[in-house]
Amino acid sequence: MTHSKIGKYLRSVSIFGVGATPFMDINGDPEHEGLTEGEVYGCAALSAMEDAGIEPRDVQFFYHGSANPAFFNYCVTPNMQVAEWMGMRGRGSVHHSEACCTGYVALEEAVLAVASGAYDIVLSGGAEMATGLPDGMKPACFRRQITTDDIYPDLVKIGDRAYARSIIGGTSVGSDNWLDLYVRTYGLTDREIDDTLITMAYHGRRAAALNPRALLRTPFEQVAKDNGYDDPMEYLRSPFNPKVSQYLRVTGNAPAADGAACFIVAPTEMAWKFKTKPIEVLGIGASCLDFSVPQLEKTATAEATRQVYEMTGVKPEEIDLLFINDFMIGSQLLAAEEVGYLPRGEGWKYVLEGRTAFDGDKPINTNGGRTSYGHAFGASGAADIFEAVTQMRGEAGVRQVKKLPKTTFIRGFGGGQNVRAIILRTVD
Amino acid sequence: MELERIVKRYYEGLEEGKIWGRRCLECGAIEFPPHYACNTCGYHATEWVELSGHGWLKTVILPAPTTADNRLSPQGPYGFGEVELDEGVTSNFVIYGLTPKKRRILRERIANGEKIGVHKKLVDLGGYKGFHFELDEEVK
Repeated sequence: MTHSKIGKYLRSVSIFGVGATPFMDINGDPEHEGLTEGEVYGCAALSAMEDAGIEPRDVQFFYHGSANPAFFNYCVTPNMQVAEWMGMRGRGSVHHSEACCTGYVALEEAVLAVASGAYDIVLSGGAEMATGLPDGMKPACFRRQITTDDIYPDLVKIGDRAYARSIIGGTSVGSDNWLDLYVRTYGLTDREIDDTLITMAYHGRRAAALNPRALLRTPFEQVAKDNGYDDPMEYLRSPFNPKVSQYLRVTGNAPAADGAACFIVAPTEMAWKFKTKPIEVLGIGASCLDFSVPQLEKTATAEATRQVYEMTGVKPEEIDLLFINDFMIGSQLLAAEEVGYLPRGEGWKYVLEGRTAFDGDKPINTNGGRTSYGHAFGASGAADIFEAVTQMRGEAGVRQVKKLPKTTFIRGFGGGQNVRAIILRTVD
Repeated sequence: MELERIVKRYYEGLEEGKIWGRRCLECGAIEFPPHYACNTCGYHATEWVELSGHGWLKTVILPAPTTADNRLSPQGPYGFGEVELDEGVTSNFVIYGLTPKKRRILRERIANGEKIGVHKKLVDLGGYKGFHFELDEEVK
């Protein structure tokens, strides 16, 4: 593959407003069943404007992301279908879809629009109603629950249609090949890698239990007790939590969710004039690889990370807080080492010692991570950015990390192909 | 730049038992699967080259509920792996003949530096063929 270099932005850009709905499963939920995509995106967007202290008329342009609107929402160009929910009829907008990386690309697009000088105030974010599907031609509030028979055939779409689907079969190795490489390289036993993966899920749930926006909030202590186990780790190793791939158990895979998250960006010098502390977007690296490329997640993460470190001059040791899109939970450990946040080959020990938990000294995914916070595919990245900004402002309450983060690294990943490496820094 | 049916010729080649790739006209790298341009050096032009259909297995992953492909199971046990083709390009492929026991043996042999040969197995996937691999040897 060839390599890219990113130039400096023409002007500094900062996030000065964030908003997010909870990540929900609306099926059978008397409070939320019947919610539509326009309503969840509109709620997140208007919440971000409220946070920023602006009105819809102040926003000049917006981006709307969702992973797969034709499948989940039976529509194309959904940007026009959500605009009126937030008072932006007639404003310019773009819809984009990069599968599970959508919410991270959402930030990149908004930043580039402002950095170029084209716009001053831009809204962006993602929304997905991922626990259900449209009910035929009925209006948007009528949905039916999604099943694995619906979702698995659809997952194939993220592989190249010309070749990859016939060469590698289905979704092929998923995340297993990077885990397999890690285990072989550093000589972990089956028990060590299994305990590492379930410990990440355990600490994710500890954070999610304290996060009112998270989907799965019952602590594993309680789940274990309900199933006859005193020790949550014994429960997580048990047949109640079976393997669903070579390495991952059920708790290592993200549950689908419904929800949205948004943010608003402006030139940093302008963002100061509003009511919140600006969080500067120092840079965003990008790399995309098809499913057929061996170790694609590792390779693309390395490339995007190199770009953003070169562009910003930031060193890995400056990172205070890390977010990894870990819908397959192995990514959390593997990418944390790849971006230099944890030492190579040693990260699994940090996990087992609890150091990567929200209350550890190397916190990762303080919102609970995909496996407990939930995965509203196109919205998940935006939800990570929402949480990053919340932590950097010191507004995370009982989930607040010990050291107020000044610099945060966010590794977006999704669709088998797309990777973004984002560095945020608090503006002094 | 000529408008050419690269994908169609690739699948027609499989029907004839041939594996077609492309060779970069500047750096000489093999482009597989075949595309117009070179993804190794970023040069714009490549030419057709027939590949051996033989390679070396580098990793072994077995299918599971989240990775299984029902189209493949009629061929018997299968899994996935990285294969470095004799021509030097590496890609993920379907590998037939893998079982949990064979995976353990193969991983150990690969870790010890042994080269595990694989050769093409062209499988009907319903109106077209897939280029997959099977082991050169019977692993016991």
